[in-house]
Amino acid sequence: MALRILGKDDAQDASQEVWVRVWKNIRNFRGESAFTTWLYRITVNTCLSLRQKEARRDERELRDEMPYLSEPTGGDADPEAAALNAERREQIEAALVHVRAEHRAALVLRHMEGLSYAEIADVLQVPDGTAKGWVSRGRAAMLVALAEQNGLHRKREAGG
Amino acid sequence: MTPVAGVDRWEVLEKIGAYAAGELEGEDAREAEQQIFDRPDYRRLAESYARMLVMLSTLASEEVEAPEVVISYAIRRAYVSAFLRQAETFIGALGRSYLDALIYYFGLRPVRRESYGGGT
Repeated sequence: MALRILGKDDAQDASQEVWVRVWKNIRNFRGESAFTTWLYRITVNTCLSLRQKEARRDERELRDEMPYLSEPTGGDADPEAAALNAERREQIEAALVHVRAEHRAALVLRHMEGLSYAEIADVLQVPDGTAKGWVSRGRAAMLVALAEQNGLHRKREAGG
Repeated sequence: MTPVAGVDRWEVLEKIGAYAAGELEGEDAREAEQQIFDRPDYRRLAESYARMLVMLSTLASEEVEAPEVVISYAIRRAYVSAFLRQAETFIGALGRSYLDALIYYFGLRPVRRESYGGGT
């Protein structure tokens, strides 16, 4: 989770911080929510506090043309193989960094951790509508950033 | 094809994204479908979203191994925490024993009359 929200450079520090917070707060866990929700909340809060300074800094502008992703080399018939491609993985990780922290957390919780909107709202401690809005904006911002990464990659390939 | 500007573009982007993620229902879903059918650029956008969502879920299904340093740190914390809990119990018990001994030594405990139920 920390790896997906922060990238590999900061995930290690965040993981340690999460363990410390879990040990410190385990006695305060009253079972009002599922343990996993509580753990997600601590993880997300830790990641967001590490990312507070970068808020709004990196979000990509939406240009005149819509963002598109090129078809993977194997075609869409084999999406899994295309998705597992190392370059694609790097592009995703690089693009995630450009999504605003709260939107990124919501996006990761929804599309990578598979949480419902009610669960996301519970973890992020925001109303359901806000959680839905953050996922939606995160998804759009992610596509914009990913299309840019994809474009850069294609330019590099064309340039040799 | 009408170009879409500014804030509206984010709206379109989010709407097609919600459709691609299967989150639109009823009239909203039909409207998005119609737009995707009518406009090749929206169709391409929906395809791009679908690719991105597949990539995200595939990446999510990959196992993430915690770095060795994090695992050893967690184990160390567990040991330290268990040791401190034991030490707390031991020192507490030791302290109470000493206190009892002092109270007994100085005769501070009031004499308790015990009744064996034989009446007065």
